[in-house]
Amino acid sequence: MKILVVEDEKGLAESITDYLSREGFVCEVANTFWQADEKISLYQYDCTIVDLTLPDGNGFDIIQTLKKIAAATGIIIISARNTLEDKLKGLEIGSDDYMTKPFHLSELNARVKSLIRRRNFGGNNDMTWKDIRVNLPARKVFIKDIETTLSKKEYDLLLYFLSNIDVALTKESIAEHLWGDNMDSADSLDMVYSHIKNLRRKIVEKGGKDYIQSIYGIGYKFTAP
Amino acid sequence: MKLLEKASRIYLMASLLIYAAVGFAFYWIINFMIYDEVESRLMVEKQDFEAYVRSNDTWSNNSYFVENKIEVVPVYGKFKNEVAFTDTLISNRYDETADPFRQLTFYTLIGGSPYRVAIRKSMIESYKLIEAISVAMIAFLGLLLVSTFLFHRVLSGKLWKPFYDSLARIKDFDWTKNEPLETVRSEITEFNELGDVMEKMASKMQHDYRSLREFTENASHEIQTPLALINARVEQFIQSGDLGENHTYWIEEIYHAARRMSRLNQGLLLLAKIENQQFTEQEELDLSELALNKLKDFEDILQHKEIRVVVRSTGSFRKLMSPALADILLTNLINNAIRHNYPGGELRLESGADYVQVSNTGHALKSDPERLFERFKKESTGAESLGLGLAIVKQICENCDLRISYQYHEPIHAIRITE
Repeated sequence: MKILVVEDEKGLAESITDYLSREGFVCEVANTFWQADEKISLYQYDCTIVDLTLPDGNGFDIIQTLKKIAAATGIIIISARNTLEDKLKGLEIGSDDYMTKPFHLSELNARVKSLIRRRNFGGNNDMTWKDIRVNLPARKVFIKDIETTLSKKEYDLLLYFLSNIDVALTKESIAEHLWGDNMDSADSLDMVYSHIKNLRRKIVEKGGKDYIQSIYGIGYKFTAP
Repeated sequence: MKLLEKASRIYLMASLLIYAAVGFAFYWIINFMIYDEVESRLMVEKQDFEAYVRSNDTWSNNSYFVENKIEVVPVYGKFKNEVAFTDTLISNRYDETADPFRQLTFYTLIGGSPYRVAIRKSMIESYKLIEAISVAMIAFLGLLLVSTFLFHRVLSGKLWKPFYDSLARIKDFDWTKNEPLETVRSEITEFNELGDVMEKMASKMQHDYRSLREFTENASHEIQTPLALINARVEQFIQSGDLGENHTYWIEEIYHAARRMSRLNQGLLLLAKIENQQFTEQEELDLSELALNKLKDFEDILQHKEIRVVVRSTGSFRKLMSPALADILLTNLINNAIRHNYPGGELRLESGADYVQVSNTGHALKSDPERLFERFKKESTGAESLGLGLAIVKQICENCDLRISYQYHEPIHAIRITE
């Protein structure tokens, strides 16, 4: 899986590529508009992460070119601009997702994976990890092949974990993943705790192991014990 | 009242007054001339009469004419020797109508005994003349009045047309767009000057709007990018594992501060954007329904905090406003009602044809309710609170011509949005 990161802030681009590389993606970076333009005309990427504000051009133009050359490439916009018009325009010209800076790398990772899943298999696939199997189109979860009923939030939480196996997820990133950034963070952090508790209980009840590991002060990690 | 109508009315009233005065003066002058003429003829007849009496020393009172009549009546006792003109009515022998006469009364001696003599002259013809002249005059003045009035209207309409055209363009002018304002040029210097001034102001407005918009966009980008970097680096650091308890504490602090700053920055930028009226799209929205839907988004947190929800709707509050702003407005109101609630409390959403009210149970305010909507006015407790939520609500209300009011009846705090 090849990913192109178009981002002029070198440190941020490095963090993104580091993070995604750990997940097994092959990442390339373009720091300028022209670099990005050259790369997309030379190579094929499964996913492109584009910053809209570049020193020598506009991210929108890259997306338009990309759509012309390789319509199958997934596109995620990352931008500090958070106006509705920008979001609508981005989605209108063919991007698949829009994330407002600052974002959580784990959230970006989850979205990249979900996007690639949608692109490659039309969403018609199962996601399997250890003894957990998720049927995505039906939104059904099986633990050791026993169907387990999860609430919508628990399901979203499980998917988020499954997209970030062995990765420490902060409470904030989980809260924002589940409720968006409009929510009051102090209250939603408590709610994260109760949802985690429920999810953990449901997995263990069905005979699964306790995969959710708490990391003191930071959050949680989904990992094989 | 329109300028043209006002001018026309004043003009009409002034003309009517002037014309009435002119008409009256004219009538009076003609009346005076006619009386003067009749009276001098009567004086001549008086001389004729006296000459006749002097030469004959007698008067045969037998002749009667409609036009002229001399009446001689003997007077007994003392009499004042005076000469007087009077108006009188004498009945017409044939028509049984009373005809106006001017009468000259004087006293004289005929054959040594005193007599009062009244010489009369018919005014029928004169009155007819006055009538004819008056009617003609009223007709002409009326015609003049109407024609000048119409002329004035048409002329003013033409003269003021560029003004009204420019006014229409100014009304249509939208400073968020890039099109410059163009007023209508005309031969009238004042209108052109006004147009120049308006055009200058408009382009200044557009310029300010653009630069502020650019500023907010750039500031947003320049601040959010480093924040994103801090976040990303901290997240990477977290992944590195084998962190001591001290380290996780510090990292959490840094991470938390960065998130908080980012939210603060977004809040302030949002305020600047609302103030700068950058939310231009408008739709007719049903705020009651939107609030109800919004409440559903908060179901989790309401459940978690064990807050009871009471919804009472007596109508839908429809309002033409930006959907993005409406969303922010309701989110902040509900968020506020949840944040300052206590576990087991209540949240009420009431709406009617012209209001939406969100009320919540909560502890009494420690500070002045007047300052509730000010920026960075934090009421409580959580350091999490940025103190921008209600300031944003207020700013949105100001921008969308909504009124906001706060009331507290222990233990219910109510914030009401009305038209």
